[in-house]
Formats: sequence, C-alpha cells, structure tokens
Amino acid sequence: MTFATQAAAVASKDLHTELRGRHAVGVILPFACTQLVAFGLSLGPDRVLMQQTAPALLWLAVFFASVLTFRGAYEAEGEDGALEGLLLAPVDKAAVFLGKAGAVIVQLLALEVAIVLLTGALFGVGTMSDLPQQAATMTLGTIGLAAVGSLFGVLTEAARAREAIFPLLILPLTTPVLIASIKATGLIQAGQAASAAPWLGLLAAFDTVFLCAGMALFGLLLED
Amino acid sequence: MAAVRRISLEVDRGETVLVRGPNGAGKSTLLRIIATALSPTTGRGQILGFDLLSEREEIRRRTELISHRTRLYEDLTAIENLHFAAVIYMVDPKKVARALADVGLSQVGRERVRGFSQGMRQRLALARALLREPELFLLDEPYSGLDREAKELVDSLVMDARHAGRTTLIVTHDAAREHLATQVVVMREGHLYSPPAATAAGAGRL
Repeated sequence: MTFATQAAAVASKDLHTELRGRHAVGVILPFACTQLVAFGLSLGPDRVLMQQTAPALLWLAVFFASVLTFRGAYEAEGEDGALEGLLLAPVDKAAVFLGKAGAVIVQLLALEVAIVLLTGALFGVGTMSDLPQQAATMTLGTIGLAAVGSLFGVLTEAARAREAIFPLLILPLTTPVLIASIKATGLIQAGQAASAAPWLGLLAAFDTVFLCAGMALFGLLLED
Repeated sequence: MAAVRRISLEVDRGETVLVRGPNGAGKSTLLRIIATALSPTTGRGQILGFDLLSEREEIRRRTELISHRTRLYEDLTAIENLHFAAVIYMVDPKKVARALADVGLSQVGRERVRGFSQGMRQRLALARALLREPELFLLDEPYSGLDREAKELVDSLVMDARHAGRTTLIVTHDAAREHLATQVVVMREGHLYSPPAATAAGAGRL
C-alpha cells in the first residue's frame, strides 16, 4: 500500500507541475502539430503515399513529443536540487520510477489523442476503425517509450547533459518500440488488425522488460 | 583533489556540533557524505550505528539534510510541497498545517513556491524537516539569507532537537551561533581540528 501510495504521490506531483507549467499544451503539442503539417505538405497530394507513410509520421511525432515530455519531467527535479531530495528520502526508488513513468504515460496519451486525430485529418487514414486495437497499440507503445525515458531521464538532470546526451541514450533503445508500433498501426489502419497481434506481443514484452529494468536500476542510476 | 581528507569525528547522540571554517574547507562535503548524498572514496564511518557505505537507506530514514538548495518544487504550493513530503516520508499529512504554522507560513500556504523569497523557501524547508522529526539534523549554512526572526526559528529548531535528544551538525560562518553547540570543530583544507576552547571543555572527541 505504501509503495502504491508513494508512486501515486510522485505521479500526482509531476502532473500538477505539468498542468501549472503548461509545457505539453504550450510547447509539445504545437511542435508535434507543426511537424505533421510540414510532413503532410512535403508529401504532396498523393493519397496512397500519404496513407502509407502516416503510421511512421504519427509515431515520429509521438517520439519527438515524448523526448520533450521526459525533459520536462526532470526539469522540475533539477530546479532546486529536488532530485537529491528524492535520493535521500526514505522512499522505494522503484516507486519513484513508476510514479514518474505513470505521469509521462498520462501526458503522452492525452497528447496522442490530438496527434492521432490530426494525422487522420491530414493523411486521410481512418482513426476510428478497430479502435480497441489502435488504443492498445498507442498504450503499449507509449508505455515502452515512457519506461525508457523515465529510466534514463534521471541521468540527465544537469541541463547540458539533457541537451546533448538524452536523445543519444534513448534513440537506440526505443527503436524496437517505434518499429513495432509503426508496423502494428499500419496493419490496423489497413484493416488487418489480426496480423498486428505479434507486434503487440513484442510491445508488451518490451514494456515488461523495461518496466522491470527501470524498477531495478532507477535507484542505482539515481545514486550516480 | 580531495575535498575532505583523513577525517575522524565522533559525536554522541543528542550533541549539537558546530562546524566552522573558511570557504572551500570541505564543510559542506563532509555534511553531504554524512547524509549519504556523496560517497567517500576511501574510509569507513558509522552514522547512528549504521554503516556509512552498506546501510545508506537506514541512515536516510533517520537523517534530514537542510542546505541552501531547498529541494522544493517551484510550481507546487507550500502545502502541496509538504503534503508530497509527508507521503514520501510516510508521516501523517495532518502534521502539515502545524509545521507550516511553526515556521510562520500559514498565510502563504496556498501560494506557489516560485514566488517565495529565499528566506521563505528556507522556512518551508525547515517545515519539511519538522514533519519528519529525524534523529540526525544536518544543517548546511542554515542562517544564510535569513532575517533575524527566521534565524531565531533555526535556533529554536536546534534547541528543540537537543532537548528531544536528537543530534545536530551545523555548518555555519555565523560565529554568534557557537553558544548553541556542545562541540565546536574547525575545518581547514579538508582537515578537521578541535579548537582549544572546545577541547578544554572536553567536548571535542575527534
């Protein structure tokens, strides 16, 4: 009970901070929308090409939004040494990791609603077809991104490290998530939801591994 | 370059130790090692009977470090900061109102910390410490940036801690605070010395 309460407190604290700072609405969402509009304009009027590239562009927008969200999640911790406070507090560091990942998941899922709707409107892909499978893909992909980002975000508390190292750290590790999510989204949007099952299985396995790794390693990374 | 070298310091429970010395002497580093925020490259230590290297979580459960970095969340209100600390420290959230009142911040409890002065932040950090009632208080320059009233608040915290049998280590340049201490030590270039007066009183066992 204490573990869950502490994880919920960390998530609630991060979400309150985000709501007050309006980082997602003011910075991340406009960035993702601009990116999708630019892609749409550059691909031209070829409807087939746009529909084929839509899943990849959707997940690229989600990925860039997630990088900005991770940075936002750790910026508040670095402002006045708050992360050191969490290190020295008598709290299970796995609960801190789960709380931070949970807050990122909630923020990203909210952003993704807008990104998915915009992708549907710009690229002419059905966003309402096979809704449960689409939602499962978005959720599993988001959990994978959040697990990796929340784990390695702790290494980049220093502002300079955040700018330079963070994307280099998470890009290779999130590539399997991006590939599986793009493939699953493409198959679902093409009306082949059943064929997406293996990709969803891969996403679920990745999420399990990185959530467990995060719970085990977060405390060690925080110590460093 | 080593910030702290060949230190040997023994403090009995309930003592109030004041550490003074010039800038760069290693005082804050010493406090951060005791708080387990930093690890010593060599050497051993026991804090409250727990090993400094292998029982860090036990030490953290019983220790509170207050430094110039207040470790507050700027976009949360004073009450929200303390509520979060209460959950993390596993103490009754009902203590929040009392802790805020003790440091004179009840009137601004619903305001965001971002608008607080440094003195108000220090008070809020003190309120957070009051929630916990730790066995060991580590105060790193607790008087800097505080007005007279807030300095007296810190003094009363130190005295209350002593009366409650808790141990306190204070790093400060403020020589006027030596009367609070049962033991005064001086740090210079990473080494710890016991000043003649403290040794004569039998307080310094270094």
